[in-house]
Amino acid sequence: MPGFSGGVIGGGVGGPASAPPRPFRPSRYVPVSAATTFLVGATTLFFCFTCPWLSESISSVVPFYIAVIFLFTLANFCMATFMDPGIFPRGKTEGDTDDFRAPLYKTVEIRGIQVRMKWCSTCRFYRPPRCSHCSVCDNCVEDFDHHCPWVNNCIGRRNYRYFFLFLLSLTTHIMNIFGFGLVYVLHHRHQLDTPHAAVTMAVMCVAGLFFVPVAGLTGFHIVLVARGRTTNEQVTGKFRGGVNPFTKGCLRNISHVLCSPQAPRYLGRWRGHEALEVQPPFLRPSLTEAQLEAKVLDNGIHNDRHSTRSKISLDQMESQSADIEPPPPPKPDFRYPGLPRADTEESSLLTNAPPTPSMYKYRPAYSSPGRNHATPPHPIKVQSMIRGESLDSPSPSILQSSRQPSYRSEPSSLDGATVVGGGVGVHRGERGEGPGGPGGTAGVVSGVSGYSLTRRSYTSYPSSLVLSIGGSRSSSQRSAQTVHNPLATLQSEGTTDTSYKSLANQTPRNGSLSYDSLLTPSESPEFESAAHELSPQNSPLQGYTSPFLSAQIAQQREGQLLQGSTTFSSPHRAYLRAVSPPTPSSPEAQHLLQHKQDVISRNTRNLSSLSSSPGAHPLEPPVSPPPRGLSLSKSPSYTGEAGPQHKPRPAGGVYMFEVNHLTSISLSPLSPSPNGCPTRSTSRPVLANHSTPKPGGGVKKVTGVGGTTYEISV
Amino acid sequence: MWFLTKQFAVRRYFTHCLSALIDLVCGTKRWRTSEFVLASLVFVQTHSLQDLQQPAVSSKVYVQRDYSSGTICKFQTKFPSELESRLDKQQFDETIQTLNNLYAEAEKLGGKSYLEGCLACVTAYTIFLCMETHYEKVLKKIARYIKDQNEKIYAPRGLLLTDPIERGLRVVEVTIFEDRSIGSGR
Repeated sequence: MPGFSGGVIGGGVGGPASAPPRPFRPSRYVPVSAATTFLVGATTLFFCFTCPWLSESISSVVPFYIAVIFLFTLANFCMATFMDPGIFPRGKTEGDTDDFRAPLYKTVEIRGIQVRMKWCSTCRFYRPPRCSHCSVCDNCVEDFDHHCPWVNNCIGRRNYRYFFLFLLSLTTHIMNIFGFGLVYVLHHRHQLDTPHAAVTMAVMCVAGLFFVPVAGLTGFHIVLVARGRTTNEQVTGKFRGGVNPFTKGCLRNISHVLCSPQAPRYLGRWRGHEALEVQPPFLRPSLTEAQLEAKVLDNGIHNDRHSTRSKISLDQMESQSADIEPPPPPKPDFRYPGLPRADTEESSLLTNAPPTPSMYKYRPAYSSPGRNHATPPHPIKVQSMIRGESLDSPSPSILQSSRQPSYRSEPSSLDGATVVGGGVGVHRGERGEGPGGPGGTAGVVSGVSGYSLTRRSYTSYPSSLVLSIGGSRSSSQRSAQTVHNPLATLQSEGTTDTSYKSLANQTPRNGSLSYDSLLTPSESPEFESAAHELSPQNSPLQGYTSPFLSAQIAQQREGQLLQGSTTFSSPHRAYLRAVSPPTPSSPEAQHLLQHKQDVISRNTRNLSSLSSSPGAHPLEPPVSPPPRGLSLSKSPSYTGEAGPQHKPRPAGGVYMFEVNHLTSISLSPLSPSPNGCPTRSTSRPVLANHSTPKPGGGVKKVTGVGGTTYEISV
Repeated sequence: MWFLTKQFAVRRYFTHCLSALIDLVCGTKRWRTSEFVLASLVFVQTHSLQDLQQPAVSSKVYVQRDYSSGTICKFQTKFPSELESRLDKQQFDETIQTLNNLYAEAEKLGGKSYLEGCLACVTAYTIFLCMETHYEKVLKKIARYIKDQNEKIYAPRGLLLTDPIERGLRVVEVTIFEDRSIGSGR
């Protein structure tokens, strides 16, 4: 069987073929033909030569039983071969420039675990979790398991059950053939020269030859089903150091594979919908009283939407501010004359009550000290919101998290963030809390960086923290719901309206996330000085991921960041286009956010897992060869087919929590764990995730799966 | 005419035709008659396109999947900002919640799906040729529901929901049509 690697034979067969419009590769059909031939041929011979004697000497039930098993095997084989595995239809995008604008990864949270979705350039969408692109079939397949050459089809969500049952039934069938053939041969051991005996022995040989790899593969898949993993995940080592977010327990995993409803196919569906006529005039939602009032006060310069939102919050803030607090000292925006007044807007907004209804929900009691400054509110405010929106996120979640009891134990850097709502910019230090929440202005940041947090001296944190918070808070009008939406709502299928040209590993030099700083690089020296405290090459957002940051907060923040960054793009695309300088930097910001989030969650997960494992030692993991070279020893052809598909995605298989590249995938641990189904891998992360930061700070190099190296600032 | 031609593609087309005609007039390019006819036809056509009643597609909003509870089919209930001026949040919420419930019903691991699987096994899967699976039945229900929602709620507001099954159950696509009746700017 190992010799049947299709490529070897296919080279000869497919070579002389001419070039048709669709390349016909006969080599692809060799393994499946061989498998069919062996299966049907051997069984037929067995039925013809061995079964008559069996039915006479033992019972007629025996051939019947063998026939049933054989038919079951054949049915599953046909289903595995011909059934659509769950191919996704290609994504539609508007214009081919969108491809360049899509950040390579999008992070999503599944049961508390960060999972990265990669942009598939062929299929033009972000691959859903567990989806993978099959290079042989050139399709993205849902719940991709592997591409099986023996059935010449991908095994995915829809046909995994049939493939699994095929393996089980084939193993049974081979055992039947071999067993009953052995009975025959033993009974006729003195008449082995008869053709019947010879044929039976030949069939036994074939059966015995195929039994070892098939049984091995069956055992492998039994373990996979019990663990709730796909072959792709097992072979690429996605869960080697971490937790599988897709497992529901042994029994549930098995029932999911065997008893779940047959998934629908996505391709080739009958589209019976008649075109619906959509004619103006269109209804509009009725405005609430507050909105009407807002409209009255609106100077009508800009969009209803923005004015509505901003005005509501402003009104609320104003009513409160008059009573609660005296106006704060003037903002230090004189340092950055280049920045428009929007920055003061942001800072004022940041310091107190949120400028947006969503923020308002969380911190209703505070005044807006900067309100007095921001007298021409709307256009500038809108602008600041637009600009700051790219950093929309952490603050609402942070604010919200501040209300959670578990948050109380968070370090002061976050406390400082939470008090952002209550504090008033840089001058609220006297409150005994951390830096206030100044806007995304460099000036504010620089002022803040001078502060030391009360409890812990994370001076490097506040600047970047404040930066991101500042930017995000000013733009958090989008995040009406905060906590449970880690997945950003991309305005397009992944690309269309995301006007960021981002490449995989870009990092802005100044490490600043504030859109303002990106807009006005002249101000960035302040950021750089702050950023240097963290690490030269890593974003402050990374550094500001406190080692004690809970996964929850990090994920919330990431989600909000994503939300903000993507919602930033579409409605304000026109605005963006009008301002040319931001365009090159905003994709960076976008990707920076992505990258940061990746690292944050990675850090977070590592650290949280590390904290639970006293025995872990914070050293770099040894660089080991890529996992795909080490996969199944029992079925080399299997490895062969799995390998080439995973090669193009060396880093794609990394889940957020798994930074270390661990040693070879060992098959022996695949034997069911003593407890049954709880995965052994759960014990692994305790030891494995040791990309801990050293207490002294600095940059930690961690090698991830596939040999990729990450620098994480600590 | 520029402010009327909101569609970028149409505008591009228009520009191309205009430049083609200018070339012709200035004699900078030698034209075949067919090209000229085609260009003028296109020019005319572009002009007449705007007279068509079909409202232009302003933008598309994608409601992404909510993967927080695993790979079950569930869509995010977060209200997209682009729809704020067009739709009430409650209506949108209700639509998405109903869709989520329907998909949960489709994917439920109940006795029905188990029996269906057993029957399929016993009949060597030939039952699939005659019978519709449980999931497909619910998908039909979902298609009816979406059509109903479109007719009653979304189309009158210049929106259109696309059945997510057409996108591989990855997104709910909401098409926003241009509102030319009032110069609201959005």
